[in-house]
Amino acid sequence: MNGFLGNTFKLFGKFRYMTGLVLVLVLAIIMSPEQRKTGDIIFLTFDNLSDIMRQVSENGIIALGMTLVIISGGIDLSAGSVLALSATLVAKLLKQWAPQSLSPDMHIIFCVVITLAVCAACGTIMGSVIAKFKIQPFIVTLAGMIGLRGMARYLTDNANIDIGFSDDTSAIFADAVSQKFVVISIFIIMAVIFCIILTKTVFGLRVKSIGDNANASKYAGLPVTKILIAVYAVSGLMCGLAGILHAAQNHQGSPNDGVSYELDAIAAVVIGGANMNGGKGSIIGTVIGAFILGILTNMFRLRGIDINVEMMFKAVIIIVAVKMQTTDKTS
Amino acid sequence: MKKLVFVALLLAVTLCCQAVFAQETKKLVIFSQCNNAEPYRAAQNESFKNLWSQYPDVEFELMDAQQDNSRQISQIETAIRKQPDLLIVAPNERGPLSAIMGKAKKAGIPVICLERDIKDADNYTTWIMSDNYVIGAQAGEFMKDYLTKKYGKPEGKIVDIRGLLGVEGEMKRFNGAWDVMKKSPGIVQVQEAVANWLQSKARERMTEILRAQPDIDIVYGHNDPMAVGAYLAAKDLGREKEMIFVGVDGLNGPGGGIQKVKDGVLAASFTYPLCTDKAVEIGYKIISDPNFKPEKQYNVNSKMITKENAAKLYKE
Repeated sequence: MNGFLGNTFKLFGKFRYMTGLVLVLVLAIIMSPEQRKTGDIIFLTFDNLSDIMRQVSENGIIALGMTLVIISGGIDLSAGSVLALSATLVAKLLKQWAPQSLSPDMHIIFCVVITLAVCAACGTIMGSVIAKFKIQPFIVTLAGMIGLRGMARYLTDNANIDIGFSDDTSAIFADAVSQKFVVISIFIIMAVIFCIILTKTVFGLRVKSIGDNANASKYAGLPVTKILIAVYAVSGLMCGLAGILHAAQNHQGSPNDGVSYELDAIAAVVIGGANMNGGKGSIIGTVIGAFILGILTNMFRLRGIDINVEMMFKAVIIIVAVKMQTTDKTS
Repeated sequence: MKKLVFVALLLAVTLCCQAVFAQETKKLVIFSQCNNAEPYRAAQNESFKNLWSQYPDVEFELMDAQQDNSRQISQIETAIRKQPDLLIVAPNERGPLSAIMGKAKKAGIPVICLERDIKDADNYTTWIMSDNYVIGAQAGEFMKDYLTKKYGKPEGKIVDIRGLLGVEGEMKRFNGAWDVMKKSPGIVQVQEAVANWLQSKARERMTEILRAQPDIDIVYGHNDPMAVGAYLAAKDLGREKEMIFVGVDGLNGPGGGIQKVKDGVLAASFTYPLCTDKAVEIGYKIISDPNFKPEKQYNVNSKMITKENAAKLYKE
């Protein structure tokens, strides 16, 4: 591809995922049906765009933590199970724990903090096993995925815990946290924080360096074990946060939710330009990756196309995105 | 890069073609199905496609949530943006889908809640459902009529083969039938057994019952497989001609209850309705007649399947 078009693509070379986003956006606008009453392009209406943002938020938040994990050269397969654990735990605490001395607001804050702490602890444990016992992250987090799913089901006897349908504390929680504005804001704030962590802090640089070459990093005197533990703890924390939003938006804590959410998150990270071997990846890329997937889903739904066609098309997108990455390296 | 542009263009062209051919003036009906993978749900989808295709001014669109509450919520959210003339939802679960269906209704879209209900009844326009109690009552009427014909008055001996105790469907199918039959003191239950909806278990339990009961007129299985299991037990002992077997569910297909009635194994079965006929009837009234005020709830009656109509229904 020479000439003008070629130069344009060279210009965007560093932001290939951005090119991808623009392509998908253009496609979505072309494909979008018009609103039957007003004639507007549905895709571009504020309501629809904010729907997309809400819909990608959960996956996006998980993907932020996953980005750190993948840059460090690992993978976190336990994300969906941690989300289920978080959703059930927060629902259980809200419904079945009634501290007399706490006001409803404090009750909610305690529930959220305890849930986040438990999820971060799950990540910490998995990170410790990975870093200290030198067992591959795939295996450790696979065990986490199985074990934590079991724990979530055990916690609730495999039943859903309904929240937010009466006037109790859990209703206040669900009404507050399930609002579109709140969900989207939390995602944006987290993305900004992660962007700063990864690009502006020593910790971020060290994560990249470990992903590039763990041995060299160790000999250079980096605290590899501590950093790896922190990376998985952060991933657990993010899954916990996503689980809390999930519970509020679904008005229930279900131990069977979140199945294969980790794979959606990994897809977003990979489309965003991260390398599964570690060392390479960015938060902006991941956020864009999440949006590419979200916009595609929205595009197919607006056209009323079978969800299974959507899945097949997404498979192609993932491969094309990764292929673009590798050509980027060789050129 | 070239390839990506190519793929994107190809897709855009194909889908634009679709857009050109699609007519925008049609009424849009969107159906959000909770899980296409269950046979009952797949039958609902097929039925909806057939029924709506008879209305040339309606464009029917189906969304499959694949048994995921979050996905169904997102799909309905997007459906609202398309401002359909009618939204039909078969909710995956009562709690999670309640709020989003309320949002659709608030956006001025008539919402039909199909089969299962949701937490907040204000969040749908009308609920089209089938009541297991009514199905039980229909079965009770059938059995009472059969006994009246057989003996000249309503009397006889009945065995119940029950599903999982405590389940709503099981209790309603039992109470519905017996609230009808209790009115005739001559009709008595000689024995009952719990077979947890399973054919194999029903066969075991029925064998015991047959040893204990010399006279049985009717075996009422609270689903078809259990009625079939009881039949097999009676056949083993050569007693299947002494009594009749009645079941519930009436599914189509080679293993379903309709086939069993056709084969003469069951004397009758009662369908657990798909509710689609009623949904299309009421739904079309809603979109075509602005003055039509639907009732809050419609009960879809079960269809009785007997030897006379089994062959015809099986073909459908």
